[in-house]
Amino acid sequence: MKLTLGYVPLTDAAPVIAAAELGFARAEGLDLTLSREPSWATLRDRLALGHLDAAHMLAPLAIASALGLSGPQADLTVPMSLSFNGNAITLSNALWQAMAPEGLDVGTVARTFARIARERAQAGRPLTLGTVHPFSCHSYQIRLFAELGGLDLGGQVRLVVIPPPQTVDALARGIVDGFCVGAPWNTVAFAAGLGQIAALGCEIVPDCPEKVLAVPASDADYVPALVRAVAKAGRWCAEPAHHAELATLLAKRGGLATHADLVRVTLEGAVASDATGRRRVNPDYVRMDAAVQAPRASDARWLVAQMAASGQIEDAAGLGDAAAALYRADAFLLG
Amino acid sequence: MTETSLTVAVIDPSRARAAILEEGLRASGVATVVVLPDGPDLQARVASLKPDVIVVHLESPSRDVLEQMSGLSRQAERPVAMFVDRSDQTMMQAAVDAGISAYVVDGLRAERIKPILDIAILRFNAFARLQRELDEARSELADRKLIERAKGILMTRKGMSEEEAYKLLRRQAMNEKRKIVDIARAIVTAADLLG
Repeated sequence: MKLTLGYVPLTDAAPVIAAAELGFARAEGLDLTLSREPSWATLRDRLALGHLDAAHMLAPLAIASALGLSGPQADLTVPMSLSFNGNAITLSNALWQAMAPEGLDVGTVARTFARIARERAQAGRPLTLGTVHPFSCHSYQIRLFAELGGLDLGGQVRLVVIPPPQTVDALARGIVDGFCVGAPWNTVAFAAGLGQIAALGCEIVPDCPEKVLAVPASDADYVPALVRAVAKAGRWCAEPAHHAELATLLAKRGGLATHADLVRVTLEGAVASDATGRRRVNPDYVRMDAAVQAPRASDARWLVAQMAASGQIEDAAGLGDAAAALYRADAFLLG
Repeated sequence: MTETSLTVAVIDPSRARAAILEEGLRASGVATVVVLPDGPDLQARVASLKPDVIVVHLESPSRDVLEQMSGLSRQAERPVAMFVDRSDQTMMQAAVDAGISAYVVDGLRAERIKPILDIAILRFNAFARLQRELDEARSELADRKLIERAKGILMTRKGMSEEEAYKLLRRQAMNEKRKIVDIARAIVTAADLLG
């Protein structure tokens, strides 16, 4: 059976890329073609209009698309989760120096960030941070990071979207003071000497539901085979012994050609964190192992709560039930 | 006839395609058409231009930037919304097939946007057709050059006339049930390798 699966080039697209490229899909009788999408909005619309049979998708965007909150309303379901975590907040060297945090724990860093953000807002020059889409954990992690420091984001910090491949350029040109983006772009910005990694996503929200596999709700008899293929591929990707081969594959297929070494580092959970070359290692930095794969209704409800806290929706209770119903643990078990 | 009071921004990674749409919109009477480049300062550019309609190609990475500027964002300075006309599924599908999406300033009525989308669909489809024809012409030319080279090799190596060389290529292609250009490519490759 021929299927087209949309993805955005990031480290956490590994399970779907490996499924298509390393024979996991073929073993399930699927002829899986990857379609690299230029933006989350285009991936969402192409899935909604039936141009794609499945997609690697921001978890909150999948929910927003199904609930008609973002783009044309799509009849889709989430038969499996692809990854937890993977994001980090990188701040410009200038901002980091102004903050001068005494420790690298997320609470200390967030408090110093909040102090500078308040000063800048009062001076009429609010800080600008980049995210990747309104319906993304990146947006929610920026808000939660600010709240950890005691700062209400609204009105104090400007949020803009910067497509991930442009984040490094945006930081270099001073268009943003920092951003929350997925692997490997934080590591790329740090390696280029342009910024400091202030906080890992998993330090702000442990086991944050990041990317999911989204499929059309109807006519999807291929879903069990696809879930089996992607689940096996994801478990293969999580094995440290496979990280070198996986990094090469991601660099080739993922449009990350010049960054294979950095992709491998992010798979290992190592993110350099300061100018003295100390490495910050967190094994949970990007999680794609077996334990992340079953879709959990509690994740869907948490994401809806984040939408409400960010002012994107009002009826959190009602939409929480609708979102939880999209997460099909039964479809994962059948896979 | 579209309305002359609107400002339309065009965002497209293909500058040629953007220029064709720009010209089409101008010709139909849109007073202000501005082509904006993809890039990290796009949000600032859109905020200062204040367009009524933004036509953005689906290949542009900037669509996510525009979604952040939607009314969903508390920070939106001049909210735009993705133009999704649920009453007209055919129109939506035609736009996406042509590679178009549109964002409009909040409150702009659908009938004011439709003529602009119609022009964009026509122009983008015409561009895609031209592109296809150009690709075909290019590959035809490349094929002909390859056959000329193979004929030249046969003429030098085997002392054949041009006509004999062509007949040999054609006979070989028929025998092997392949295209003449494939046989020509094999000959050119072999000649390159063997020197």
